Amino acid sequence: MAMAALRREGRRFAPLISPRPITAVRSSPLYPTLEDEGPLGLRHISTQVVRNRMKSVKNIQKITKAMKMVAASKLRAIQTKTENSRGLWQPFTALLGDLPSADVKKNVVVTISSDKGLCGGINSTSVKISKGLHKLNSATGPEKETKYVILGEKAKAQLVRDSKKDIELIITELQKNPLNYTQVSVLADEILKNVEYDALRIVFNKFQSVVSFVPTVSTVLSPEIVEREAESGGKLGDLDSYEVEGGETKGEILQNLAEFQFSCTMFNAVLENACSEQGARMSAMDSSSRNAGDMLDRLTLTYNRTRQASITTELIEIISGASALEG
Amino acid sequence: MTLNLCILTPNRILWDSEVKEIILSTNSRKIGVFSNHAPIAATIDIGILRIRLNDQWLTMALMGGFAKIDNNEITILVNDAEKGSDIDPQEAHQALEIAEANLRKAEGKRQTIEANLALRQARTRVEAINAIS
Repeated sequence: MAMAALRREGRRFAPLISPRPITAVRSSPLYPTLEDEGPLGLRHISTQVVRNRMKSVKNIQKITKAMKMVAASKLRAIQTKTENSRGLWQPFTALLGDLPSADVKKNVVVTISSDKGLCGGINSTSVKISKGLHKLNSATGPEKETKYVILGEKAKAQLVRDSKKDIELIITELQKNPLNYTQVSVLADEILKNVEYDALRIVFNKFQSVVSFVPTVSTVLSPEIVEREAESGGKLGDLDSYEVEGGETKGEILQNLAEFQFSCTMFNAVLENACSEQGARMSAMDSSSRNAGDMLDRLTLTYNRTRQASITTELIEIISGASALEG
Repeated sequence: MTLNLCILTPNRILWDSEVKEIILSTNSRKIGVFSNHAPIAATIDIGILRIRLNDQWLTMALMGGFAKIDNNEITILVNDAEKGSDIDPQEAHQALEIAEANLRKAEGKRQTIEANLALRQARTRVEAINAIS
């Protein structure tokens, strides 16, 4: 209607006659300035800019909400698998013990991380712990060495920067196909073949609940170290009380056992990390969409104020124009 | 004196309850386990496990792993396991035939080894079905 046409025209004439519209926009620290100063030093706020911003924030909100739901459904699928695999490594710990304090020369730290980002802080915590283990081991003696085996893009990006010479093996794109035991046992085999080790420390995020992920280290000792510890007594001392069946020598059986233990622990660790990744992504996307919602509310208020200000401006122009004509 | 048996695979827990006796086939020989057995750590080959509950025998096909026996607790960790009653006889026989055909066709060391392995697994499954009846 006429008002709308005038409003459109008014945008061109506004700088000529208008008192300063009352807005609180300038005081808000969140936005870059939405106004430009006209030739007479008057503020001219564009609703177009605010509207564009609102559209993009709304899109972000929709996308993050969808990502949260996708992560939730993936989490459900993986969670059952993880719980089923938990029972597998417990007998090993009961038989061979989990000795993080074993004193060994060659440590290998297997860091498990995700390939994709937007999953909160879980990858940084894993990397921090791996670096901490490295430092701990190098601090206790000069002949101790620590090597890395990295699973996942995110840890690779962070560790390649400062520990490039210590990295033995990098494996990415683990989750292209759904995780299963055969794939992980092949992986474990590769690692065992290519890396010399006395103790393998697997660093991953254990999935306690949808909001809590605990970084954990599982230790798998090589058979020679197991023998050594068994002789010195303690938890592993009971190992000798077991009579060994299976035809071959005790050493060979221990070797097989250690390999099996490694692949079972790896399987569990990879599953738990995948669960934690999905859970962390869920909560990150959730807070992101909530922030987007808040931002949208604030922008709507700004938009309304801007709109009312420009209407007031035009009204004033028209009225002053009309009164000038009259008299 | 009850014997508790626990069979675990990477994908799920297959069995977790009491039994009277089991017959396990390890890499060297078959051993029978009653309650109050001496502690043993054994490697298990691809073969069948027979379980007795109160005069009734059950069979399971195991695909290799480890067993730990102590204090009337048997823990068996295997790569895969199937209850004899869960295996479809038709399908198992077919799998056996396919495995035998593959073994004849196999060329090269790796394929032969894989074909052999598949054959043993298929044979175990067929045995598991036959052993019940």
